[in-house]
Amino acid sequence: MMRIIRADLHLHTCLSPCGDAEMRATAIVRQAGQAGLDMIAICDHNSAENVNAVMRAGAREGLAVIPGIEATSREEVHILGLFRSERDLAHLQDVIYENLPGENDEEAFGSQLVVDEWDRVVGMNRRLLIGATALTVERIVEAIHRWGGLAIASHIDRERFSLIGQLGFIPEGLELDALEVSRPSSSKQDYGYPVVTSSDAHFLADIGKSPTHFMVEDLSLDELEKALRREDGRRIVTGKMEDLSLHILDIAENSIAASAGRIEIRIDEDRANDLLTVEITDNGKGMDESMLKKALDPFFTTRTTRRVGLGLPLLAQAAKESGGTIELNSEPSRGTTVKATFRLSHPDCKPVGDIGQTIRTLVIAHPEIDFVYEHKTYDSTYRFDTREIDRK
Amino acid sequence: MRLNELIDKLDLSVRTGKGNLGREVTGGYASDLLSDVLAHSREGNLWITLQLHQNIVAVASMKDLAGIVLVNGREPEQETVEKAEKEGVVIMVSEMPTFELVGKLYELGVAGMG
Repeated sequence: MMRIIRADLHLHTCLSPCGDAEMRATAIVRQAGQAGLDMIAICDHNSAENVNAVMRAGAREGLAVIPGIEATSREEVHILGLFRSERDLAHLQDVIYENLPGENDEEAFGSQLVVDEWDRVVGMNRRLLIGATALTVERIVEAIHRWGGLAIASHIDRERFSLIGQLGFIPEGLELDALEVSRPSSSKQDYGYPVVTSSDAHFLADIGKSPTHFMVEDLSLDELEKALRREDGRRIVTGKMEDLSLHILDIAENSIAASAGRIEIRIDEDRANDLLTVEITDNGKGMDESMLKKALDPFFTTRTTRRVGLGLPLLAQAAKESGGTIELNSEPSRGTTVKATFRLSHPDCKPVGDIGQTIRTLVIAHPEIDFVYEHKTYDSTYRFDTREIDRK
Repeated sequence: MRLNELIDKLDLSVRTGKGNLGREVTGGYASDLLSDVLAHSREGNLWITLQLHQNIVAVASMKDLAGIVLVNGREPEQETVEKAEKEGVVIMVSEMPTFELVGKLYELGVAGMG
């Protein structure tokens, strides 16, 4: 079954000299869980020696961890390599080490800690990981592909160490699988390549900032690759959390997790009263009193390892920021209604965004669920009910 | 000053674009960030860099620069040489580091934009 996942594909650990000492396997995995991520990739500078620890911690805590590396080319361009297995990654690691001169100076650049899955320090990398390899961007991309990896140019919207900053533009014929931007606003630009956003986190608190949403079947690199190529219905789900349509998607996902058979989404843009109302009603298993109380708490989730639970606090925050309200009604085994209001004229009122895509995504991904979508504006009402249409 | 005079005086080795050495040099620009060179160099400038990637040819050609000098004796990549020959872009190599080379250019009257 296709679903939307939230991925942060560029995290450093304490192995990167610039990575915070707290960036260790279990701490990273737990923080990623709290940030609502389904998948992370570990990409330290020119080394993969902490990948195994994070993958073990991920397997234990139920978080998908993609083995990766951030290679520095001789032009000082950073390229991410994401792999199917640690074995494939090890091949690239060998090529990088053969071409990486110098020894680290801890005083100047920071320490390079190797840790185990329980965050204990088990070693120290002495290479100059902050340095540049003798490999051209072309050779790095070619080497990543030789071992079946995905090559993504890092933070191309920054000047330092980015493909566009260092080399002015994307070299002709460079076979990148995607570009990474660090500011969500940059992803609106058309670069002619798929664009992902990630945090490039060096500190725990940054994990999950500007993640990419993918529509995929499972949490594998094969699926990510298909999504980047837009194959078999897989794709990057565009739109940012600035848009209410993605908040709505999140809430609907909660309903799906609560085994709802019917989900109703109502949007009322009442300009005369300066009020935008978003209401999501489901007939899922509902919540009891104690659960209801916790539901708006960002650290509360009905499952420990997977997201579901962040949707409500984020929506509540969005509503409050625009002078609105949030109301939550639920009854065990009857269902839940979430109603959020926003002041349309408030400068912090988020745009509705591509609600059409949100509805399509839900309807296509969940043929077993009935959806009702109603959108009122000052002069018209649009209504759509999956029971009244042939989904094909 | 013309390019071939500078080549003589500073002992630069020409690697590509031998047909275009008579060009007048309007000034100089030194930077290794190609995005910066695209933004700030001017037509007819001599560009001092340590980048060897083929994109330097495209930048020099787009900005119509007089030529590129690679410092520290660094040799251009094969693809860079091929592209430069095709585009008629002059690439020279100097054994000097950037600082020394720019200082000598300044003494010879090749100024920046200031």
